[in-house]
Amino acid sequence: MATETNIPTGNAVATEGASLCWSCNAALAGNAHFCPNCGKVQPSTPIDYFEFFSLGAAPARKLDIDLPALEREFYRLSRKLHPDVFARASTREQQWSLEKSSQLNDAYRTLKDPIARTQYLLELEGVKLEEQSSAATLVARTSGEEKKQVVPPELLEEVFELNMQLQEMRMNKEMGEDDPAIVSDLQNAKSRFETMLDDLTSELKSYWNEWDATISAPGSSESDRIRVRDKLVDLLNRRSYIRNLVRDVNQALAG
Amino acid sequence: MAYSNKVIDHYNNPRNVGTLDKASSEVGTGLVGAPECGDVMRLQIKVNPETQIIEDAKFKTFGCGSAIASSSLATEWIKGKNVEDALAIKNTDIVKELALPPVKIHCSVLAEDAIRAAIGDWKKKQSASQAAPVTAEAK
Repeated sequence: MATETNIPTGNAVATEGASLCWSCNAALAGNAHFCPNCGKVQPSTPIDYFEFFSLGAAPARKLDIDLPALEREFYRLSRKLHPDVFARASTREQQWSLEKSSQLNDAYRTLKDPIARTQYLLELEGVKLEEQSSAATLVARTSGEEKKQVVPPELLEEVFELNMQLQEMRMNKEMGEDDPAIVSDLQNAKSRFETMLDDLTSELKSYWNEWDATISAPGSSESDRIRVRDKLVDLLNRRSYIRNLVRDVNQALAG
Repeated sequence: MAYSNKVIDHYNNPRNVGTLDKASSEVGTGLVGAPECGDVMRLQIKVNPETQIIEDAKFKTFGCGSAIASSSLATEWIKGKNVEDALAIKNTDIVKELALPPVKIHCSVLAEDAIRAAIGDWKKKQSASQAAPVTAEAK
């Protein structure tokens, strides 16, 4: 195939974050899905989800994103990258469309969900959400000092107490069949937990704004970033307990 | 994900579920949480002041099967041990015994935390109630 012989080897990088179109050699942004000059699909590269959707590259990834715009872009790219469109293209272009379509789906699924998006950003920022508790345990074990709990003890007390109450209501429901008083207790608990969860979501949004302001402020330092980052981590930690309460109360009402 | 038989056994027949008198000077209470999954665990111990041996242990856990099994096993292990030996239990011992998969390791961490927190609470009560510090006796 003649078109494939004059491809530059690799992806000749013109300037930092930019490259050249494999087909027509036009200069491209690093995250371009198509060449603006010849319209050809570009090789899939291991870029993060924010960059995939042009929502800012490291270290300036924004958290408060325009969801309707994200959805429109998702549908637009879905159509343009769909493997059916490349049925007659070269094997390589078919491969790229397949890879980019799968990247697109993963990126959209993660970014459209406020919690998944926040977790994803924190992991890109080097936070190991899954390991924070065991890391603190290791410190306690070697130092002999008491482990500092990742969430405030008052919240644990409250969550434990709420779980006890919920369990009692569930047991009553199982025994008392459909006692309206028990069902209404559960419904009250449900709306209380949901309010707590909503409050945490509003709090999360205020931290998104703080984060976005910090990354775009010219004079902001690394310690400013870390301060906001840790607020986000702390919020997600607190939220996981409340999310479980909502889940369990819904289960109790359904069961 | 499949649970090991030991996890299922502890989950179906949890050992030592319950409550001890939080106010007693012989009882230590640990309340800990795993932010990864939102599980909460309370573990209580009753220690003989003469022998420093953990005579009773109770737990209450709100969480998944692995968290319940880890705390159930923890109470089984610490009963009859003196507090220093109980502190030597590591989460990896629990992982091994219950054959926990990597995604459930935080449940074993929670159980180790609970043991430490309960013993820590008990020690605090001891030093508060005793005029003479424990270290003086050891010399």
